[in-house]
Amino acid sequence: MNDKLSLTELQLFIRDSLYTSLPGLYWVTAEISDIKENFAGHCYLELVEKHPDEINVRAKAKGIIWSNRMRFIRPLFESVTGDTLRPGIRILMYIKVEYHEIYGLSLIINDIDPAFTLGEMAMKKQQIIRKLEEEGIINMNKELEFPVLPQRIAVISSSAAAGYTDFIKHLTANKYGYCFYIALFEAIMQGNETETSIIAAFDRIAGNISLFDVVVIVRGGGSQSDLSWFDNYAIAYHITQFPLPVITGIGHEKDLSVSDLVAFRSEKTPTAVADFLISSVLNTDEHLMQLSSELSNTALEIIGEFRERLINSKLRLIPAAKISVSSVKENLGSMIISLVSNGKDYLQKERSQLVEKTSLVRSGVRAVITLNRTRLKESSKVLPSKTSVYLAQNESVINNFSTSLSLLNPFNVLKRGYTITSLNGKIIISSQNTEPGDIIDTQFADGTVSSLVKARTAQGKES
Amino acid sequence: MTKKVFSFNEAVKEIEKILQNIESGRLDIDRLSDEVKRATELIRQCQKKLRTTEEEINSIFKELE
Repeated sequence: MNDKLSLTELQLFIRDSLYTSLPGLYWVTAEISDIKENFAGHCYLELVEKHPDEINVRAKAKGIIWSNRMRFIRPLFESVTGDTLRPGIRILMYIKVEYHEIYGLSLIINDIDPAFTLGEMAMKKQQIIRKLEEEGIINMNKELEFPVLPQRIAVISSSAAAGYTDFIKHLTANKYGYCFYIALFEAIMQGNETETSIIAAFDRIAGNISLFDVVVIVRGGGSQSDLSWFDNYAIAYHITQFPLPVITGIGHEKDLSVSDLVAFRSEKTPTAVADFLISSVLNTDEHLMQLSSELSNTALEIIGEFRERLINSKLRLIPAAKISVSSVKENLGSMIISLVSNGKDYLQKERSQLVEKTSLVRSGVRAVITLNRTRLKESSKVLPSKTSVYLAQNESVINNFSTSLSLLNPFNVLKRGYTITSLNGKIIISSQNTEPGDIIDTQFADGTVSSLVKARTAQGKES
Repeated sequence: MTKKVFSFNEAVKEIEKILQNIESGRLDIDRLSDEVKRATELIRQCQKKLRTTEEEINSIFKELE
């Protein structure tokens, strides 16, 4: 052999050596760290094996699934595992080692055993569940008290998802007319960003926790391939730690994800979640109706009891009253009898007292009369002498009066030369009362003359 | 914001307490009518809450988005 080799010669030598030492097909396990499909349908993978710490890579190789194999591998894998060939999952593949002088080493994947991946997934899921159990938090959300009125709902979903629309439609169109307040917290429901996106939504709800009664995670039904995104420790952890009950409806008929397991309740579909919420409110409503009817029944019962008591009282009252009346009547009769006899005695006593008093009054009166009569007699004896003295005293006074009176008599005045003048029979005392031509009468002591007034002269003044 | 918020849970508790009082027979007949009236009013409010939209909550929800 020549001591120098061209690169081609070396590469071909490696290839031949590999073919010789690894001639057949081998079952190999590895984790997909990257996967790309080109326009022709050929699939190029990056395969790794990690250290137990799950971070550092221990081995790495390229893998290729030719499109003619891919056509068979993919549908089987997806239907068995409910997942896709994607980064992060471990596969068991049936490979042939190939070496190309330009492209180097490739593992040509002839087949993939989906049962292996399924087992791996189940194992991973079990690991998550075991971890949550060991931490003692797996049932924390289930242990929350469910609100009597789950009306304020924080929904984690994608507004584009059919499941979300179904949920809203079903909830708001409930036949009981119950009202629900729904706030959507938008999240990515599949793919690598699922975890961070859902956790961010939880954080946003936590910031407004007092506004909500319950959290709902819903996802479009149909596609079952993405369920494994919810077999996620971080999401499950957030559900267990959330202070509100979380209800999931992430649309998987066959199996439950870890998120479903730790949630307060999980339903197969978003519609079923809506039904559960409606029935919760219905329960409360029925409880209210029951309270209402209990209330009216009890109140009526009590009123009935009181009515019965009243009737009983009435029944007992009548005979009692009769007895009472007759005893009163008896008492009254005896009282009348004693009153009559007592009255007679009293009258008798009063009458005799009256007679006594009458005789006393009579004799008293008689004594007074006798006394006054003697006084009168004495007075009449004294009266004549007392009268004559009194009369004598008054006689001189009377004489004085008669002297004064005779001085004032007009006739005595006329005798002294005065006259009385009158006109038409009326005495006139002023010249002003006459007019020339009047005939005036002048009375003297011994007779009267008539004269004609010729003129009148006022005292000191001519008329 | 100091407006007293109607509490469904408290209302239901009060209804149950009234009912208990009535059933136990401790209740004065003079108060029976008042208590029944109160309980009925609470039930009515509770039932209203199940079916009435609260504008306030809706507006808060809008702010969240």
